[in-house]
Amino acid sequence: MRNLWLFPGQGGQNPGMLDQVDPQLKEQVEKWTNVKLLDTAEGYQDSVQIQLSILLLQIDQVDQLKKLGWQPTLVAGHSLGIFAAAYAAGVINKEDIFKLVTLRAKLMQECYPEGYGMGVVVGLSRPEVKKLVAEVHSDTNPVYISNQNSEMQNTISGKLIAIKQVLALAKENGASKAKLLHVPNPSHSPLMQKTADQLNTFIAQLNLHQPSCIYLANYNGHAVRSLKDIKYDLGNNVIYPVLWETMMQVALEYQPDVSSEFSPGTAFTKLLKAKTDQLHMVTLSAMSIDDADYLFNKWEKKE
Amino acid sequence: MEKLHFEYQNSTPVKKFAHVGVVASGDLEILVYPADGEKTTLDITTGSDGFEKVWQNVLDRFFARYPLNGKFIVHDFGATPGVVNLRLTQAMEALKDEK
Amino acid sequence: MTEEKNWHTHRDAKNARLASASSLFNGKFAKTEDVVEVLNTLIKPGDKVVLEGDNQKQASFLSEALTKVDPERVHDLHMIMSSISCPEHLDIFDLGIASKMDFSFAGPQSTRVSQMIADGTMTVGDIHTYLELFGRLFIDLIPNVVLVAADKVDREGNLYTGFNTEETPTIVEAAAFHDGIVIVQANEVVDKLPRVDIPSDWVDVIIPADKPYQLEPLFTRDPQAITELQILMGMMAIKGIYAKHHVQTLNHGVGFNTSAIELLLPTYGEQLGLKGKICRNWELNPTPTLIPAIESGWVQSIHSFGGEVGMEKYIAARPDIFFVGKDGTMRSNRALGQVAGQYALDMFVGSTLQIDQWGNSSTVTNGRLSGFGGAPNMGSNPTGRRHSTPAWQSLKPDDDPLAKGQKLVVQMVETFGANKKPVFVDHLDAEEVRKEAKLANVPIMIYSEDTTHIVTEEGIAYLYKTDSMEERKAAIEAIAGVTPVGLRSNPEEVKKLREKGIVALPEDLGVRREDAKRSLLAAQTMDDIVEWSHGLYNPPAKFRSWS
Repeated sequence: MRNLWLFPGQGGQNPGMLDQVDPQLKEQVEKWTNVKLLDTAEGYQDSVQIQLSILLLQIDQVDQLKKLGWQPTLVAGHSLGIFAAAYAAGVINKEDIFKLVTLRAKLMQECYPEGYGMGVVVGLSRPEVKKLVAEVHSDTNPVYISNQNSEMQNTISGKLIAIKQVLALAKENGASKAKLLHVPNPSHSPLMQKTADQLNTFIAQLNLHQPSCIYLANYNGHAVRSLKDIKYDLGNNVIYPVLWETMMQVALEYQPDVSSEFSPGTAFTKLLKAKTDQLHMVTLSAMSIDDADYLFNKWEKKE
Repeated sequence: MEKLHFEYQNSTPVKKFAHVGVVASGDLEILVYPADGEKTTLDITTGSDGFEKVWQNVLDRFFARYPLNGKFIVHDFGATPGVVNLRLTQAMEALKDEK
Repeated sequence: MTEEKNWHTHRDAKNARLASASSLFNGKFAKTEDVVEVLNTLIKPGDKVVLEGDNQKQASFLSEALTKVDPERVHDLHMIMSSISCPEHLDIFDLGIASKMDFSFAGPQSTRVSQMIADGTMTVGDIHTYLELFGRLFIDLIPNVVLVAADKVDREGNLYTGFNTEETPTIVEAAAFHDGIVIVQANEVVDKLPRVDIPSDWVDVIIPADKPYQLEPLFTRDPQAITELQILMGMMAIKGIYAKHHVQTLNHGVGFNTSAIELLLPTYGEQLGLKGKICRNWELNPTPTLIPAIESGWVQSIHSFGGEVGMEKYIAARPDIFFVGKDGTMRSNRALGQVAGQYALDMFVGSTLQIDQWGNSSTVTNGRLSGFGGAPNMGSNPTGRRHSTPAWQSLKPDDDPLAKGQKLVVQMVETFGANKKPVFVDHLDAEEVRKEAKLANVPIMIYSEDTTHIVTEEGIAYLYKTDSMEERKAAIEAIAGVTPVGLRSNPEEVKKLREKGIVALPEDLGVRREDAKRSLLAAQTMDDIVEWSHGLYNPPAKFRSWS
């Protein structure tokens, strides 16, 4: 059975989501990172809390599924999600992944105190959005096309003033939705180069391993099998668009039997559903690990 | 969910009630009544936001070919422009049958 | 005295290769578990290798084995495949085993193909029509090794390929008569074959497969998914094209539009009194949606490119209609089917993802280099055709004493796709893809000059009647809905085009849109089709509601 494991990034966090997480693991993570995980609404105002809590939730689910004997054929993470994806592929150990993400979250928090962010445009194709971005972008007011979540849903990243101009143009040009996102930095654009440099320095001294499965890279949308490519993605995905739509097209060309979306949320399963009805879909935020185990067993037998 | 309103000046009066289409995903239903006043009015409730310009284009094209003067109530559940045109032209046929 | 030139170097090389692997063979047979070593030994770097894979049947045991060969021994292969369908077809490029590809269709792997061309992992020879690719196997792409699949093989090495004979004989012939090596995977070894499709004399190596070759039910359409819009377009096509031009010989593409037409023949077609007058002889895969028309006596004959899962028993029981061997099973043939499709048909009806303002169409969209199936052959006018039929003659211009007829090439599309993206565009994505992939030609599926009719939910454009590119563009605009192309149309122009008979709306054809109901379909569910077939059709599991 070919299983495609999907790891969402920030956005789906909600208070109490760590209730079911292994308490020992949580304690261990707090020790490694020196961050007390609050798992409250106030806590989730803070992006270090968000990034570490989502990572913890996903790592805990990966551990549970692997303990039951399940392994991915393909892993795909969206933005922050690549770290749990790399862990699931056996590339990086638990302690290192939490330390790496702590550093990433802190760097992202500090890099642009104000005036920068992200927006989303729904209902225009990527080439259409690119054209609008090119009309607005300048050295003093930079804005870039960033994540490609689906064919008709793309984000832009840059200086807020430029983002707002692009959003207004998008509305005029028939976008069904064009709005700012609650993201305080221009993620997934060249403006994050400094963050990437510091992450790469940290990653260079880690002991990483060859992946045990196919890894879908954010930065170019390719299916990769080499440690070199995954390492590059971990350090540099902040300066590239997440080519999610392309990643999913490629993933589907490997003809998976099942997709499994890790918590939190179900957004990526919904996007996948719009593309295909040819595979079984599991969302771990909506069912227990036992239920997922039961379904995997059932589908594997049917094959 | 979005509510849209359009008005046109059309020449062919609607003389009776007609109902076409279905309440289903990817489809729409249209209720047509004789016009309240001189103007043709359309009140559209749609589940897909941001398609005002497309609606305008579909209606312009339809009324240029079939200038029906009536009151149109539309409930849309994400129909493509092609399906919208099918339902509008079916309404046109249903209204013509009376004559 | 000059030295005698050796005129059989190819044969010597082939014999040397086979001799070097002789320890792996018992006669022509190798063991299942030795497959990788057989390939390691028989294939040499730089070889032209045909790996059998089309849109239905895959030599999956051999293609998986090919991913396991040693890239030190086997590398830089030049692959020739009519269809790139499975992940492993591209994995051999990632692994450094192959470097060049000549192909026709890559639909199921089109994103990775685009990526591999862009990053240089794969060099593309050309993207062909099927007939070009088959033809070149005998001219300048003569294979060194071919890897093919058979259903059954007997102890002598004769092959039975049955329903899914498809392109196996063509590939094998190209190698067998020019000192290429023919390697066959077999589902089963038996004492006696139902019939011989390929003689053992053409075969070098047979390897029993660990499981049957992969087979996709590609042409099965569930009538439940047919929409009223497709029914309306089907009604327009039947009345405004099939009946108008007396179309008797034809091919249908794989979409729901043509399934709708197949299911309208016994109902709407019957009402119009068209039985016996249209749609008699077909080049078509055995699509289940044609069963009601066959059962009600519309169809005289069907020749097929390939088989279709679940249709075996039904076909065996209808040998008057299908091409069936003495043993009772169908034989298909893709190469001859494409020849028939290009030369012997009155009409091809297909669908596409984009049509440009001039009437060129393509299924290649941004980031997906899909190539094409049979459409470019069947959807082109064979200018060398001589035989005349009423449909062909009906497109003959009347102002030229030397004029000849033309094949009807019909595109049926809704103006907007399901994702609400316009189908009619000023420029095809394919133009951009040509630049990105550095192709010699824009990957157009069907050229404007060959396209005679376009049908949309708004009406029919009779492009063959236009006498200038301006008029052709206006006719397309008239039926292109509210796409950027359609918005250029104006009411006066449409009126003129309707008067000239270049554009027809449903009311011009006497088609009532209100009649476009699902109840008009001869079968509305898979169960209905099974019933029409007297229980002989056996739908694949994914199409069965009760499983």
